[in-house]
Amino acid sequence: MSNILKAILPPPGWQFTVAIVAGVLFGLAVYVLYISNAVSYLSDDPKTCINCHVMNHEYASWFHSSHREQASCNDCHVPHDNIFNTYFFKAKDGLRHATVFTLRQEPQVIRIKEEGAKVVQNNCIRCHNELITDRKMLSSTKTFDHFRTEGRQCWECHREVPHGRLNSLSAAPDALIPETKNPIPEWIKNMVK
Amino acid sequence: MSTQRKPIVNWIIFFTTIVVVFFLGLLASSITERRSEEPVALKPQVKIAQFDPRNDVWGKNYPTQHESWAKTEESDFKSKYNGNAMIDMLEVDPRLVVMWAGYGFSKDYNQGRGHIYAIEDIRNTLRTGGPTDDNDGPMPSTCWTCKSPDVPRIMNEEGVSEYYTGKWARLGAEIVNPIGCADCHNNETMELQISRPALVEAFERQGKDVANATHNEMRSLVCAQCHVEYYFDKNRPGSEGSAYLTFPWDNGTKVEEMESYYDAKNFKDWTHKLSKAPMLKAQHPGYEVFSMGIHGERGVSCADCHMPYMTEGGRKYTDHHIQSPLDNIENSCMVCHKEKTETLVKNVYDRQDKIIENRDELEKLCVRLHVEAKTAWDLGATEDQMKDILMDIRHAQWRWDYAAASHGGSFHAPVEISRVIATGINIAQEGRIKLARLLMTLGYSGEVPYPDISTKAKAQEFIGMPIEKLIKEKEEFKKNLMPKWDKEAQERESKMTTTYVNK
Repeated sequence: MSNILKAILPPPGWQFTVAIVAGVLFGLAVYVLYISNAVSYLSDDPKTCINCHVMNHEYASWFHSSHREQASCNDCHVPHDNIFNTYFFKAKDGLRHATVFTLRQEPQVIRIKEEGAKVVQNNCIRCHNELITDRKMLSSTKTFDHFRTEGRQCWECHREVPHGRLNSLSAAPDALIPETKNPIPEWIKNMVK
Repeated sequence: MSTQRKPIVNWIIFFTTIVVVFFLGLLASSITERRSEEPVALKPQVKIAQFDPRNDVWGKNYPTQHESWAKTEESDFKSKYNGNAMIDMLEVDPRLVVMWAGYGFSKDYNQGRGHIYAIEDIRNTLRTGGPTDDNDGPMPSTCWTCKSPDVPRIMNEEGVSEYYTGKWARLGAEIVNPIGCADCHNNETMELQISRPALVEAFERQGKDVANATHNEMRSLVCAQCHVEYYFDKNRPGSEGSAYLTFPWDNGTKVEEMESYYDAKNFKDWTHKLSKAPMLKAQHPGYEVFSMGIHGERGVSCADCHMPYMTEGGRKYTDHHIQSPLDNIENSCMVCHKEKTETLVKNVYDRQDKIIENRDELEKLCVRLHVEAKTAWDLGATEDQMKDILMDIRHAQWRWDYAAASHGGSFHAPVEISRVIATGINIAQEGRIKLARLLMTLGYSGEVPYPDISTKAKAQEFIGMPIEKLIKEKEEFKKNLMPKWDKEAQERESKMTTTYVNK
């Protein structure tokens, strides 16, 4: 243990500099985590998905849909087969979104990728299994799942579920969405008043 | 493990940290910047005067819209049949030369470019000729009507009938700003408004009031000020002597309804040089045809596809880069349609291919009609013998032109356009049966040979067009009169003031 500590600790002459630099580094990292609302990404709160205001239309349409009472963004858009896969997929998708947003590459019309579509399809089945399975037939036929995951997808017919028919960043410009919390705490505001 | 690192390692750690911190800082400022995008509001720079035709002055207040409008300068997109690149349509399809013999379009006809080229292209086309002074040239001042926001300014100064009076060259120094802001927008509220009288008058004659149009309808009607079928009425009561721009919509906008309007007025655009038929030139009934298609019937507006909404930094604006949606499928079609880009393109091209297949057949029939009618005249046919045949020629080619000139028609309303072409083919063949009987009576047997019109040059030679003379006249005009226009316009505009806000 002390050996490891010795290896990490800088030589005496450098300790001051290193402390400063490391402090700057960590301080900025905390700032970035705070300003980007990073902790919220660990939650299932749909407000997280409009942190960057790109998914406002998706949020607004979901908020006015029947799914609002039952399913959050994550219930449909990340897999729920096992917990590792859930967080792996969420992290992967989230990082891709963060990259696209930071590079200002978000398209005007956001379309789901094939991988995402498969996840959503499986989640439709996960909750609505009773609706698409004929229990009387189960002993004599295979499950219908594979018919539902290959080829046609639920939303080819249920076209308005749950995000409506229009798909564009401009589709719901006046949607009432929860405002992004101002990152500056009240006491600082009072101080600089 | 030694606690003494080599100094070089410490330096590496030190500088790497600096670089990492630096980029973290950039990231943080980027996030802060993008968070502040939402509340950005309009901050007007100038006060825009009524009838101010200068697009860059409006652009000071609306830079996003102005910048996107300026992109109509791009001329490098070619779809299968059209696009925004200049295409010499007479070269692509020399049959047009024969069909328009005796009319300006047989001189020169190009695939149109973006709005920003409106002035440049109307000055360049051979159709406007090579005027040497204000009172010279083949076209009336009315030809400027759709080209510039200077037009409402002049109409306001001169009066509408007076504006429509005189030669095209009369207004050359006045009309210099290409199609832009003031053509569609109110200078104070930026609301869409109709700036040209012809559309308002056409609505009035049908007992409708444009002022009652919804915002969504206005997103098509501002386009319908120009992208419609029109003619120049030289006998308008109270405006005799002017070429009064009029829409023939009184009976409706279907091909037969406009035809019956023209027939009742005995109106013709020109007399065909070969067949002597009283011809109609369909202009560009884009709005009429669009309204009959599925998108029009479902209430989609022109702007929805040709000027889709965009969002930039949390702000919504309309893309003023007006163009073929085929060059912008991701932002236009896909707002509603979930299919792949290739699928959507194929859907459009399939409709175009199938309609153009029949349109080409009708074109060949029209050429034959003109040539056969000329043969009949040459053999001594009488006016009485030719009367019905000439009306068939008029009606057949009017249907062809209605389909061809309504650019985008085979996408906008494929079923209607197919029907129009089908009736055109029928009328053309009826006319040819009558011609065959007449030719037989006149002692002609066998087939009237189809002319060799495989190139534009051959076709223009066939109809006896002095193309070199026309080009020379145009060059003289560009050398002599055009620079005078520009100089005069520059002097006039330099005296116009711009009122800055808070300055």
